[in-house]
Amino acid sequence: MTERHVSVENLVKTYPGAAKPSVDDVSFSLPRGEMLALLGPSGCGKTTILRMIAGLVEPSSGAIRLNGREVSGIPVHKRNMGMVFQAYALFPHMTVAENIAFGLEMRGIAKADRAAKVARALDLVKLTGLGDRRTTQLSGGQQQRCAIARSLVIEPELLLLDEPLSNLDAKLRDEMRDEIREIQGRTGVTAIFVTHDQDEALSMADRLAVMSAGRLEQIGTPRQIFDRPETEFVASFIGAGNFLNGRVTGAGEAAVDGFGTLRFVGDAAVGQDVRLMVRPHRLVMGGAANSFTGTVEHIVYRGQILTMTVRSGQTRLQADLHTHAGALPEKGQTVTLGVAPEDVTFIGRAA
Amino acid sequence: MKAIRNICLTLLYLFLLAPIIVVFIVSFDTRQYLAFPPESWSFGSYTKVFANEAFIAAFGRSVVIGLVVGLVAVAIGMLLSMALVRYKFRGRDTIGFLVLAPFLVPSIVLAVGLMLVLSPMGLLDSYAGIMLAHLGITVPYTVRTITMSLMAVDRRIEEAAMVHGASPFTVFRRITLPLVSPGLIAGGVIAFLISFDEATISLFIVSIRTSTLPTEIYRYLEYSTDPQIAALSVVLILISVAVVVLVERLIGLRKAI
Repeated sequence: MTERHVSVENLVKTYPGAAKPSVDDVSFSLPRGEMLALLGPSGCGKTTILRMIAGLVEPSSGAIRLNGREVSGIPVHKRNMGMVFQAYALFPHMTVAENIAFGLEMRGIAKADRAAKVARALDLVKLTGLGDRRTTQLSGGQQQRCAIARSLVIEPELLLLDEPLSNLDAKLRDEMRDEIREIQGRTGVTAIFVTHDQDEALSMADRLAVMSAGRLEQIGTPRQIFDRPETEFVASFIGAGNFLNGRVTGAGEAAVDGFGTLRFVGDAAVGQDVRLMVRPHRLVMGGAANSFTGTVEHIVYRGQILTMTVRSGQTRLQADLHTHAGALPEKGQTVTLGVAPEDVTFIGRAA
Repeated sequence: MKAIRNICLTLLYLFLLAPIIVVFIVSFDTRQYLAFPPESWSFGSYTKVFANEAFIAAFGRSVVIGLVVGLVAVAIGMLLSMALVRYKFRGRDTIGFLVLAPFLVPSIVLAVGLMLVLSPMGLLDSYAGIMLAHLGITVPYTVRTITMSLMAVDRRIEEAAMVHGASPFTVFRRITLPLVSPGLIAGGVIAFLISFDEATISLFIVSIRTSTLPTEIYRYLEYSTDPQIAALSVVLILISVAVVVLVERLIGLRKAI
């Protein structure tokens, strides 16, 4: 897994006339067969990175390597990549089979071989028997499958997916999410996909690269990103969080209003002002290693969970608790919340 | 209310079509001058038209000129549209305006101008001259129809072709060209029809050798006014209608314009 199949090094893109670069010094690499999600709010440069890798946008500086080889001199059509576009971008004047065969035809593959590969690709994406349809006769999900087949049939070095699920309705999205993941696993293709949806990124990708304003904030596995966010942006973009300021009083201990002493995991020097984060759903009723006692200020019963805001002095904590049929806290009541030290995330020095 | 509306519409169409209806009726008259209504009926004028060698020869020239002009106008229109829609360059707006300028200039002014330009080049009464003149007035139309088609083409579709292995020229041939074909066909047909029945400019540029059908009709009218002209007009109208209906059936002309 140490082999670098794809690597991006110090990639920068500044569009003419723009004051700030759209992509600012981004580096990452993928081993063969990995699925990486580029995650970030719209305008963070994630799509630009994808387009630079495909060769549709020229980088201002930096390098993109495939198998160690710099690709900037290679024109788009010779990079041997597959790309699934947001609106699919199927060829409207061709049938499903012709769409899928297009890349094979461009590679000069004989007609008979083409037909066999197209049939296999149709099976792979469960469009068997629909090869003669016009693409306009397909449903959104089927168009999506057709676009995936068109990209995979050429056995690309790299599969690029640009917001592949954003045009589908919610139910279909869950279905296609699992399916894309499954197809990627089965074919073993190295893949990069762009999304602004954290659920999609967390559930589909082997690793996530979180971006903000053109910069790479953090790259890691879904668990690393969710449980050990390194920046406040990552912590707040992915999931909800209670952010707390404190001063370090000892090894893994900080003085935080409301908690008294809050134990956390992370290295910080004594006396340093730090920023800590607790996820609302990691708080539990009753004291633990860390306990916080306060008044319930606001409460919403949402069936599966109970969302409440508990206040002590100037500090407010939001807690998402699992409900049960027994007695639940009520507004105005004094409650004690607890959280395990490993669920307190050390984000960094306080600003 | 509906009845009144229908009557109004019928009257409107009658008013618009009246000249054509009159011509159609007169074309069957047997007298040797134009008058309405006819006293007796026959197909005699049609027989004479098809026996008139000057008309037949001019018709042939008009068809050839129209076809060449149509094809070349489409080719020029495609290249110009690609440049105007796809590339940002200095003077793009100026070129865009110049291309459409012939729309704004009266035909007679264009005719005099073209004559003055083509004369010193020795192109008066030549195929090259008349074709150049007709290109000048038809290219604006092909640019217009092709530009509209081209703007409707999603760039991502072309990018998808590129990423999956098509060279820029292949993308153009396999993706862009088929997708703008309605604009190409509509532009070509319009260019053909304009060239085919253009009279004002042609009168200034052609004489004997390359006279087109409209100029031949005009010349004929100077000497005689008999139902042959009406019969010929009916034939021309039928040809135009046939072309338009055919294209409408094939691609949907209304969609392309």
